[in-house]
Amino acid sequence: MNRIIEKEFFSENVVRLEIDAPRIAKARRAGHFVIVKVGDTGERIPLTIASSNPEKGTITLVIQRVGVSSRRITELEVGDELTDLVGPLGEATHIENVGTVLACGGGVGVAPLLPIVEALKKAGNRVITILAARNKDLIILEEQISAYSDEVIVMTDDGSYGKKGLVTNGMKEVMEREKVDLSVVIGPAIMMKFAALTTKEYKVPTVASLNTIMVDGTGMCGACRITVGGKTKFVCVDGPEFDAHQVDFDEMLLRLNGYKEIEKGAEKEYLKSKDKK
Amino acid sequence: MAVTKEFLKEEREQAWRVDIRKLLKNKERTSLQRVHMGEVEAGERIKSNIEVNSGLTEQEAINEAKRCLDCPDPTCITGCPVEINIPKFIKRIEQGEIFKAAQVLKETSALPAVCGRVCPQEKQCEAKCFYQLKMKKEPVAIGHLERFAADYERESGQISVPKVAASNGIKIAVIGSGPAGLTFAGDMAKNGYDVTVFEALHEIGGVLKYGIPEFRLPNSIVDVEINSLKQMGVKFENNFIVGRTATIDDLKEEGFEGFFTGSGAGLPRFMNIPGENYIGILSSNEYLTRVNLMDAANPNTDTPIISGKRVAVIGGGNTAMDSVRTAKRLGAERAMIVYRRSMEEMPARVEEVKHAQEEGIEFLNLTNPVEYFADETGRVNKMRVQKMELGEPDSSGRRRPVVIEGSEYDIEVDTVVVSVGVSPNPLIPSSLPQLETTRWGTIVVDEEKLQTSIPEMFAGGDIVRGGATVILAMGDGRNAAASMHTYLQDKLNS
Amino acid sequence: MNKFQTTYLGIPIKNPIVVGSSGLAATIGGIKKLANAGAGAVVLKSVFEEEIKAEAEQTVGQQLGMDENNLEFYDYYDYQVKNEVLENYVSLIREAKEAVDIPIIASINCTSYSEWVSFAHKIEEAGVDAIELNVFKLPFGIKDEAAEIEKIYFDIVRKVKDRLKIPVGIKLAPYFTNLGSVINRLSHSGVDGLIMFNRFTSVDYDIENDQVITGKVYSNADDFVNSLRWISVASSEAGCDLVASTGVHDYRSLVKMILAGASSVEIVSAIYKEGPEVIGAMLKEMEAWMERRNFGSIDAFKGRLSQGESANPEVFERVQFMRYFSGHKH
Repeated sequence: MNRIIEKEFFSENVVRLEIDAPRIAKARRAGHFVIVKVGDTGERIPLTIASSNPEKGTITLVIQRVGVSSRRITELEVGDELTDLVGPLGEATHIENVGTVLACGGGVGVAPLLPIVEALKKAGNRVITILAARNKDLIILEEQISAYSDEVIVMTDDGSYGKKGLVTNGMKEVMEREKVDLSVVIGPAIMMKFAALTTKEYKVPTVASLNTIMVDGTGMCGACRITVGGKTKFVCVDGPEFDAHQVDFDEMLLRLNGYKEIEKGAEKEYLKSKDKK
Repeated sequence: MAVTKEFLKEEREQAWRVDIRKLLKNKERTSLQRVHMGEVEAGERIKSNIEVNSGLTEQEAINEAKRCLDCPDPTCITGCPVEINIPKFIKRIEQGEIFKAAQVLKETSALPAVCGRVCPQEKQCEAKCFYQLKMKKEPVAIGHLERFAADYERESGQISVPKVAASNGIKIAVIGSGPAGLTFAGDMAKNGYDVTVFEALHEIGGVLKYGIPEFRLPNSIVDVEINSLKQMGVKFENNFIVGRTATIDDLKEEGFEGFFTGSGAGLPRFMNIPGENYIGILSSNEYLTRVNLMDAANPNTDTPIISGKRVAVIGGGNTAMDSVRTAKRLGAERAMIVYRRSMEEMPARVEEVKHAQEEGIEFLNLTNPVEYFADETGRVNKMRVQKMELGEPDSSGRRRPVVIEGSEYDIEVDTVVVSVGVSPNPLIPSSLPQLETTRWGTIVVDEEKLQTSIPEMFAGGDIVRGGATVILAMGDGRNAAASMHTYLQDKLNS
Repeated sequence: MNKFQTTYLGIPIKNPIVVGSSGLAATIGGIKKLANAGAGAVVLKSVFEEEIKAEAEQTVGQQLGMDENNLEFYDYYDYQVKNEVLENYVSLIREAKEAVDIPIIASINCTSYSEWVSFAHKIEEAGVDAIELNVFKLPFGIKDEAAEIEKIYFDIVRKVKDRLKIPVGIKLAPYFTNLGSVINRLSHSGVDGLIMFNRFTSVDYDIENDQVITGKVYSNADDFVNSLRWISVASSEAGCDLVASTGVHDYRSLVKMILAGASSVEIVSAIYKEGPEVIGAMLKEMEAWMERRNFGSIDAFKGRLSQGESANPEVFERVQFMRYFSGHKH
């Protein structure tokens, strides 16, 4: 069950896996995610479903190696099984033809952005996509996302690829020159915070897809809680997408640091143990 | 009432029971002292997850069984939510027929090893024991005896798997593998139905696995019960969320004709006081799930747990006890219960409170948190509390906690577990708009039949009652199975 | 210059008519109506700590199972009710701030500081312009000493002002041993305004059926006199805005309160009886009066007849009829 039938490296740290999961493939809509666990002692982690093929009965996950759990997944090979896979979770993206959409993906956020951009384009929107990262090596899925965008702008902090600057620079440029009806932003929390502040100035409705810590992913534990419009919401059942202008990003950033030290230590241990082999 | 007075009388008049009663005079029976079950010493047991209670030896059990007077009018049964034939199983123990005792239990209770450990007997059967009611003496240790019989059977390896009727080919879907779902599944399988239990998590057992810690209810015991069910032909699918992975309609298309929802009360509640979202403040669900389900305390597992030296658990129920005792085992120097009412009013099982006290848990009663503070990294480091006093009884009959104005003070903490109750899991109701629910999120059912507003769906356990006990969930599973069986048979014959 | 300009709890408002806390401002529709009718500001319907507790208790009593087997589920149920109430209130505030451009004031009825901390925090975050605080302990606690009761008020005021950045007003009840002193001291305690006075549900008897019933719900035009007296007495020495409440039904009582020293008034019953149009009517008539009397602004006549300013201040001190009747022969 949950067998990996295809594996591809998009870059050294970004892997695409196609997984046999007929039920999830059938029920999945853009924006949904799954919880994955590798091994009996593994952690449960959320991963956005990049795409699905209901006829074939498969789903595709795009995973960037950022810690122990994502490494475990990316080290599996074709034929291996994911010990546990459950979904589809979260609320699907609300897709509508609104006119012009400014889609912004920061770093690893481009992976979950891809299916949303695809769905928005297919719904008839004009889609302008900004990909942003620190440097050229961290820009991913440019080719894949271009297939569903009317225009792609690449921003790198150091100017090693595309234009030099932050995602917010690119966003301002677009909003200055044309009317944008909706913005979708996905990326590191700090990026989404400033992207939201930028679009607020231009009064552009903005949706952010949040990436908090999760344990069960089914609404049971509250680890993923955030404050939106003064109310407590759970990213796993009420989200992962929310009105970016109402999200308390500062609180989210604070909570994201909860396990930073432990995670760094764990990754060090893991890599050490790999070296020994 | 499944158990009638006539039936009980009949059973009581059986030859073997008459003989047992003759063995000792009532006066001799009542002069015996209640057995004291062995426990691992407190200082030892907080170093690991070892089960605290050691269980009775066979001799201890038989001696305790002798205390039972086999009353002509067994009031103990009236205290049992599922009406176990208590005198009968106890007399079997006195007779030395432990396997038969286990079978009596299994006629009514699907998970006797579980109930013997987690039922609040002091409020149920034992509260209604003749000794307690009429003699003001310690009641017969019904809970200990139930545990003994169930464990005896389990440990012997000769677990009696109930007989299963010939398969009738009707497919039944059970949503949730907690006590309600497991009991329902077993009873339907006995009637020949083709039962599949769908569980959202990767482990089967629901709250029995993720909620109740190892030192109270070892997961291995739950697994034995699950294996019995598998032997009866019950199928289990984990990582399956009904309403998401597949809808009820999808399952109907796949041929399922009856549904039982036992999805429990797994939505965490917070107090929403300032600072509650700082790092290090978790719901009891998150805390216990990390430790019990994901084994986070084990350095060889990937899931981490934040549990510091000064842990405050807010609440006074069994979940709060479980959380604070877990914190102790995870190395807390100060493990505190912060509860706004008095000791006597805490909802937790008396035994859990006693064990907690022995383990060095500090009880800060008549105390309530008002606000949390954190250091520059966002980790909680201080909790402001207010003292309370008990005022006049409110309309629910409990004395209301009244704030003592100006009594605020601060306590240093590095971890807070909020254990103020849970709410019904919203997944199923949200995916079925035609399912009638109450304003508290529980599913509305016919009280007798446990049928929901969707005729082919029945429900029971916490999703109907709000968070309640394991035994009540089991009772619901049992009743719902009987009801659904009638419903489906009627449908077939019409 | 806007001749009606004045302040409420220190916040500039375009005219002195503030709609007091009531069901009139419980929904966004109601709030919009009041804003469109020309209200200078609106105080939202109160959040009642007592109501929340009562609802929670009732639910718990009804739902508690045999042997209290679901007590753990209901033990902290009042927090659920409170969170729901607060979430709805926060939504109302956010909606109101987007829909109208006059100040929106939250109103909270509490009897303890700890409840305050959780309520006020969320409400301030929601963007409300000020908070009106009703701290009321009806002195029926026979054992409560006057000084202790007063201390609680001061304690709460100090703590609340410490916590909040937005203006805080206290709605007072006229039941203090030394009312003048309390008003004066409170007005210098850092609070931004005192609303005088809170009007309580009166108790009455149905003498045919031996029943205790609630008395009349709306105030009458004559009910303004107590507020008038005390505002007159306090205003010249007060350290904050004074707001008149109870019995302001027409432009005359509105003018009288300002002459006494109030910077604004709260009206409720007048709107219930005559509709929100009464706001515009009162302003128009006050305008005509101001012209007649040659006052170009509210400040021009505010406090003109207060005790500190008036020619015959001793009238304020006569509480009894004595002097009035002494000149009459029977």
